[in-house]
Order: sequence, then C-alpha cells, then structure tokens
Amino acid sequence: MTEAELHKIAQKLRLEAVRMVYEGKDGHPGPALSIADIIATLYFDVMRLKPEDPNWPDRDRLILSKGHSCPILYAALNERGFYNPKVEHFHLRELHSKFQGHPSMHSTEGLDMTSGSLGNGIAIGAGMAYAAKFTGRDYYTYVITGDGELQEGVCWEGVNMAAGRKLDNLIVFVDRNGWQSYKSVEFTVGHNNIADRFRAFGWYTQEICGHDIKAIRAAIALAHENKGCPSCIVCDDIKGKGLSFMENDNAWHKGVPTDEQYALAQKELGE
Amino acid sequence: MTKKYKGTREAFAAAMMDMAEEVKNLVIVCPDSLKAMRAVDFGEKYPERYVECGIAEQCAVDVAAGLATAGVIPFVGTYGGFLTMRACEQMRTFVGYTNQNVKFIGVNGGLLGGEREGVTHQFYEELAIVSSFPNYTIFTPSDPQQCYEACKLAVKTPGPVYIRAASGKEPDIFEEGTPFSPTGITVLKDYGSDAVLFSNGYVLDRVLAAAELLKQDGINVTVADINILYGKDPSEILKVMAKSDQLFTVEDHNINGGVGSYISRLACENKPAFVTRIALTTYGESGPAKELADAYGFSPEAIAQKVKATLKK
Repeated sequence: MTEAELHKIAQKLRLEAVRMVYEGKDGHPGPALSIADIIATLYFDVMRLKPEDPNWPDRDRLILSKGHSCPILYAALNERGFYNPKVEHFHLRELHSKFQGHPSMHSTEGLDMTSGSLGNGIAIGAGMAYAAKFTGRDYYTYVITGDGELQEGVCWEGVNMAAGRKLDNLIVFVDRNGWQSYKSVEFTVGHNNIADRFRAFGWYTQEICGHDIKAIRAAIALAHENKGCPSCIVCDDIKGKGLSFMENDNAWHKGVPTDEQYALAQKELGE
Repeated sequence: MTKKYKGTREAFAAAMMDMAEEVKNLVIVCPDSLKAMRAVDFGEKYPERYVECGIAEQCAVDVAAGLATAGVIPFVGTYGGFLTMRACEQMRTFVGYTNQNVKFIGVNGGLLGGEREGVTHQFYEELAIVSSFPNYTIFTPSDPQQCYEACKLAVKTPGPVYIRAASGKEPDIFEEGTPFSPTGITVLKDYGSDAVLFSNGYVLDRVLAAAELLKQDGINVTVADINILYGKDPSEILKVMAKSDQLFTVEDHNINGGVGSYISRLACENKPAFVTRIALTTYGESGPAKELADAYGFSPEAIAQKVKATLKK
C-alpha cells in the first residue's frame, strides 16, 4: 500500500472516530486522532491478521494501552473487515454495545486485550511476546502507550521485564502528544524525555514524527531487524491531529463535537 | 511424586515439578520469588518455563495475563498480599474481567503464614479481596498435602484460581493421596451435633484439638474443613450445616470476607443458625507461629472455650 493510500485510510479512520463520539455523545476524540496514522499503518500495512479469524494464533497482537483512544481502533477494525456486515453505527458506550467505553476483549472481536486502566499494556505485551518465543511462534506484539501514561509505575516494571527477558518481538509506540487529562506532561512531571529513559532501560529506541507514514514504516522495519532487546518508537504527535478546531487543544481530551463541528470535520477529513 | 515435601511452599514446587512433563504449557511467573516459592529446581530444570519479572508484582500479573492469551498456563507465585493488594487491580481487570487462565498461589496467608516476619509479611485480607472478583475460584488448602492437590486441581480448573498458602511450616494432617475435595468440604470429626466447627486453612489442627477438648467436657461437635470458598455448588456444605443450629467458623484471616462470611451468608440464605466467627479483627505482629496463634485466639483451649461460652448463652 502506498503512503498516500495509508494517509487516506488514516483520515477515514479519524472521521469515523469523530462520528462515533458525535453519535454516541461521549468519548475521547483528541487522543484517538493523535494515533490515527500509527493505527492505519499497523492495521493496513504491517500487521499479520486474519479478520475472518480474529483469534488466529499466529496473528500479530496490538494492545492499546491508552485505551481511552479506542474509537480509532474500533474504526480500524471495522474498516479492516473484522465485522460482517460492516458496522454502520457504533453505539459507542451504550448499554450492551459491542463498543465499550474502553476496550474489552470479550465484547469486541479483534481486540487482543482489554485496556483502559493506564500503565498495563507494556507488561501485558511482554507476556504476549514471551509467549510467542515460548510457543515457537513468530508474531509481533505491538503496544501503544501515551506519554502521560508513562507516569504509571507499572509501565517501567514492564519495561524492565521486557529488557531482562530480551523480548525483541515487542514493539512499543509512545504517542508523545505532550498532553494528559489536565495539563501538559511537561508541567506535570517536568520533562518528556521518553527516548532517553527507554534507552537507559536498554531498549532499542527511535524517535519519529508519528504522522509521517513513511517514517512509521521505516521505524517498524528497523524494529523488526533489531535483535536482543525490545523496541520503542517514540512518536511526536499532535493531539487532535487532522481537525483545525481540535489540534493541540487539550479541551478535546474528552469532548463531543457539536453539529457544526461535526460538519466541519466531514469537510476537513473527507475526500 | 518427585520427592516428599514439607510445608505448602515445597508442596507447590513439588506439584509444579510433577506436572511439568504432562502439562507442557505450564510456566511459573515470578516477581523475584522463585526462591521463596522453593521452586529453584524447577527454574533450573526448565529455564524457559520460569518467567522472571523482577520485584514487580503488578508486572508479574500483567505478564501472566499476556501469557494466558496465547494458551500458556502461568502460575504466579509470591506473597499473597503483594498479589492481592499491590497487584489487586491487575488481578481484577486483566485476569478476572478477561477471565484468563491464570493461577495464583499466595504465600504467607495468615498470622501463622507470616509468623516472625511481622505485619508487612502477614496477610489476612486476601480472601476478602479475591472473593469480590467474579470468575475466580478460591482454594484454601489446610495442609501441605492439600496444597499440593490444590495446585494440581488449579491447573485443571478453567479460569483464574487463587490458592492460599503459607510460610512452609504447616503441620501435616491429610493422608498422602487425599484428593482436594471437589465439594468444598471434608468432615474430619463427627462426634455429634452440639455444634459444627468450620475450619479454614492452616488452623485446622487447632480446631481438631479443640474438638477433643470439648469432647472431654461432654460437648460433641463436628469439624469440617472448608477448602473451596464461595464455590458454585455449596450443597454438601449445607448438608453439614443442617446438623446443628450452632455453627462456628475458625480462620486465620480477617473476620470479613473469609469462611466466616461465607458460612454466614449460606446460613442467612438457606438455613438460619447462630454463626460465631473466630477470626482476626486486628493486625498481627512478629512471633513464632505457635505463640502467635495462641496469642490471637487460635489455641485449642481458646477455641474450645469460645464454643462452650457460646453454647451456654
């Protein structure tokens, strides 16, 4: 798939995520849009998947550790063909909906893990990656965390474990959009030096623009070549990327577009 | 069986060794606890089946959840409180809610379990915590032989299982080869129906001794070991409860959330009876096991006295 095609898919997923929140009247659109290009590249170019067999043992895994961004993942699973017929209205966060407020693996086909309680994706991913080696399978485990999320201590427990066990089949993306629920990461902990920290923990670490599909693909290719330690790809992202009224406005960490804003989103993200 | 074991920790290690060849996807997940779990031999014999996570219980439970999604059967073994309290949310959300096939064995359960280490290493709250998580099966063996059997049964039981173990100094009560009762109850003494004493965990020898003291005083009781807490089918327990209107529970656990709560609930819902709970209501302290248990109300004499005083009311 060409970069232009992947970009087009990412834009489509963005619009679907926004529509989901708009229709459901609840959710986190800003954090979802931040990772749209990573999700599009993984699900439409990189990951080995069988949408018709979501539990295929040899599939690549993805854990959305920053689970509140799930609208973009739901949109990707839908576009990738995990649901037949394709879902028209997601009923996000509604009673008995397939699409829970945070990812729930037994509610939604295609989800490899429940998530939403921040901090746990790296360690769970380490378990999946260890299992691949133990069972002789060659799948990769991908994890997407937020930069604010890395304030959770258990993240670094998982980082230690994965380094100690030399899990080179584990690739963690950090969505460094600089924001968390209330304020900036910089304000909250005084730094956002993620790459330095991962390197210090013995990880093969790259820094890229998380909206540059060429760079995402190249970084994943390098991560695949890397042997003997886990990989981290720090992605400089823009929260709310793709929508003029949402970009870098942390009010959109959680929020619902108005009718006018949704119409604008259709215009800005549409074909 | 590979070798004779002493205490519940060695029982765990022996069960793992004995299952290793048959259950090829069985692994031990350790937050630097392999030595504490007496499982160094397993780690050396099966290095790829010993998953070291470092001193990081939340990570260990998360790793186990990840392993289980790929069909591996992880046994997470370490101190019960570090699992159920420090990694409480991971046990609830990523193993319980997701219903992963993860097994836990928590050591130092109870005052007796923690003995000289003091309160930071004695845990009397685990059963209350785990019993509030749907999908979990809770095994409370009452001696090393039963702990060995509990570990084996846990691997055959689908979904999350929590086993309560202790320090390694537990007295032997059950004969070798006694299965872990699938009904959740074993009657060990049946002297009469003046009262039924439900024991839970590693105070069973003390409850049995109390029954002898009571018998000498003309009070004839039944003693039953409850080895599965909050099991799906309590029918056999209800049959034993029906023997008397005077029920007692004895447990080395906080008074809330363990066997006292369980029997009280069964009585309320099925057969009204007086339920007197002998359990902990405070934190403990350091001390040799026997002295500690005596000091906190678990001597055979104290248990017998409590029964006598209650029956006189």
